[in-house]
Amino acid sequence: MKFTSCSVIFTLALFGTLEIESMSRYISPINPSAFPVLSLVLLFIGIFFTAWFFVYEVTSTKFTRDLFKELLISLVAAIFSGFGVLFLMLWVGIYV
Amino acid sequence: MKLHGRRNCFSAAVAALVLVLCSALVSGNFVIEPSLNIKNADRTIDLHSQLTKITNKLVVENTGKSPVKYVLFALDAKQREQLSYVSALLREHGRPELKVKPVKDGSIPQHSDKIFFSIELKDPLQPQRSMPIEVEVLLTHELQPYPKEIMQKDKQLVKYLGNVYLYSPYPVTKQTTTVVLPSRNVENYSRIKPVTQSDTTITYGPFDKRPAFAKEELMVHFENNNKFLTVTKLERVIEVSHWGNIAVEETIDLLHTGALLKGSFSRYEYAREMKSGQPSIASFDTILPAAASDIYYRDEIGNISTSHTKIKKDSVELNLRPRFPLFGGWKTRYIIGYNVPSYEYLYNSGDEYILDMRLLDHIYDDMVVDEMVLKVILPEGSNNVQIELPYEATRLPDSLHYTYLDTTGRPVISVTKKNLVENHIQNFKLKYTFPKLLMLQEPLLVTVALYIMFLMVIVYVRLDFSIDKDEASESKLRVAGQCEKILAAQDRRVSSYNNLDDLLTQLKTNKDVNLFSSAVKGVNQEYKNATAAIAELAQRLKGESGDVYERIQALQKHDRTLKDLYNQQQSMYVDKLVPGKMGRQQFIDAESILSKKKEDCVEKINNIVKSLQ
Repeated sequence: MKFTSCSVIFTLALFGTLEIESMSRYISPINPSAFPVLSLVLLFIGIFFTAWFFVYEVTSTKFTRDLFKELLISLVAAIFSGFGVLFLMLWVGIYV
Repeated sequence: MKLHGRRNCFSAAVAALVLVLCSALVSGNFVIEPSLNIKNADRTIDLHSQLTKITNKLVVENTGKSPVKYVLFALDAKQREQLSYVSALLREHGRPELKVKPVKDGSIPQHSDKIFFSIELKDPLQPQRSMPIEVEVLLTHELQPYPKEIMQKDKQLVKYLGNVYLYSPYPVTKQTTTVVLPSRNVENYSRIKPVTQSDTTITYGPFDKRPAFAKEELMVHFENNNKFLTVTKLERVIEVSHWGNIAVEETIDLLHTGALLKGSFSRYEYAREMKSGQPSIASFDTILPAAASDIYYRDEIGNISTSHTKIKKDSVELNLRPRFPLFGGWKTRYIIGYNVPSYEYLYNSGDEYILDMRLLDHIYDDMVVDEMVLKVILPEGSNNVQIELPYEATRLPDSLHYTYLDTTGRPVISVTKKNLVENHIQNFKLKYTFPKLLMLQEPLLVTVALYIMFLMVIVYVRLDFSIDKDEASESKLRVAGQCEKILAAQDRRVSSYNNLDDLLTQLKTNKDVNLFSSAVKGVNQEYKNATAAIAELAQRLKGESGDVYERIQALQKHDRTLKDLYNQQQSMYVDKLVPGKMGRQQFIDAESILSKKKEDCVEKINNIVKSLQ
């Protein structure tokens, strides 16, 4: 009993001292100084496609509408806006 | 019979020995080694702040015959609540730290009314040798304000009750006790001879040989205007984000635990007598890590504007001034938060991460924290959490925390501990696994939400809520839709004409018929496709709107004329101009007639196109 608990303490002490030295400091995959530029560029593209989508929706009639085109524009708009919103949140300090 | 009895006796002795050995191994029993003796004890009781810091410089001597592996250190069980921190070191070069382990209650028989700590010696103490060690003990809430209530401008007097002798499990040959006070103003102190008072120190001793667990009450009543400030509850939240940030937020409940304020508080008196040497607390300094940024200091109402940061080389010093000065018995509650970059405290290799951070951080000098709760919020999807604490603390059950862009919730690891002081500012290590790909979950969540919104719009525009079907306007819309397609085809036709024009000018200059005829084939094919498309669309329009159909027929007619003209021009170029069968003047005349006709045609076509738009 005593021996096992001793060894547990020992290994616990080991994982801190040994593993940390073999590990590298964790850096974000995207440099935080790039957040403002990224969010502005991505949101600009996202808003452009969103605007295109809505203009298309209101100007087309049910005889001229093309479902494939609508889905494609909205997908591009959603992807760019989605990433843009994330980086906007990170930029303003909401670290999700 | 006799022999049998002896054997029985022998086996009983062996059994007893095995039992003793086993019990020593199993429960880690400790015994007060009778051969140990404290040759000299030099105690300093530092009462400078609200804490009791007792430094015991001991010289331990082994008078026995076998080496000793550990030394026991004892405290009265009454001090259990006050005891905060015990540490020991060897008083020799490098001052190496010695391991101090609390001894389980009741494991030393006949001494269940005492708390024991075992100090493990690096090398066993050999017989007839001595070893100098130093044991530091920190106790909180031992200084009692006396009187318990004072007026605003009064000085604060406190009373300390302790033991003049070292409370040691071993006999002490020689000892002195020095009490260090913050001021010269001492009301009263125990006259236990020999005693000397000089300036701010009172020295008792040297005393000659005392038995183990010697006790005689020591009382000092003196002035102490230092900060008597207690953190009654500290909640420290560390939120780890893999986007490169660690957010720290501390919610602090402060209570002034000095003498209570008697009578009313006069702001006027306070402003007039604003000087040091008063027990009230106007401000204090908190030391944050050097990398701390975006620091905020607020409470329930909002930002507290009376704070100043001073950036130092290896820390950020934050001067905090609560909304009101704190007098005895007054309390305040505030929140302090900051961000630190992840590379300071987070390490990884692959999907394995280790967070190496302070379990408790500095709040003010000589602080006392009655209760602390540490919460580490890990990113969503972290698992295999293991925590390594620098000292004993209670781990609370894990919970979940929900914030922005969370679905299943973030795992929260909570640890709690009571009665902490500055010596508890040590690092913990938290190991966990987090698949890197999960970081994409957050942006994709936003993307999916937006896409669903777009899909709803796509569905919404297709919904028709009209009760009455308006044939006329519907037909108009349908015609407009067809017109749009026809116009798009017409655009393609126009671009094929433009291409043809370009090719003809090229032919005029380079006179390469082969190149021209091969290029013209593609252009003509495009033209044919567009024309066919228009014809087909026109057929569909026939039943819908006769008027538009007729206009398109006219468009087709004019277009045919235009194409004819182009054909004429083309044959003129290929058959006459290139072989040189045509004079210059003749060519110019023919060309101008053709272009005139073309222009007329184009104008007609444009008129029709305009009417269709």
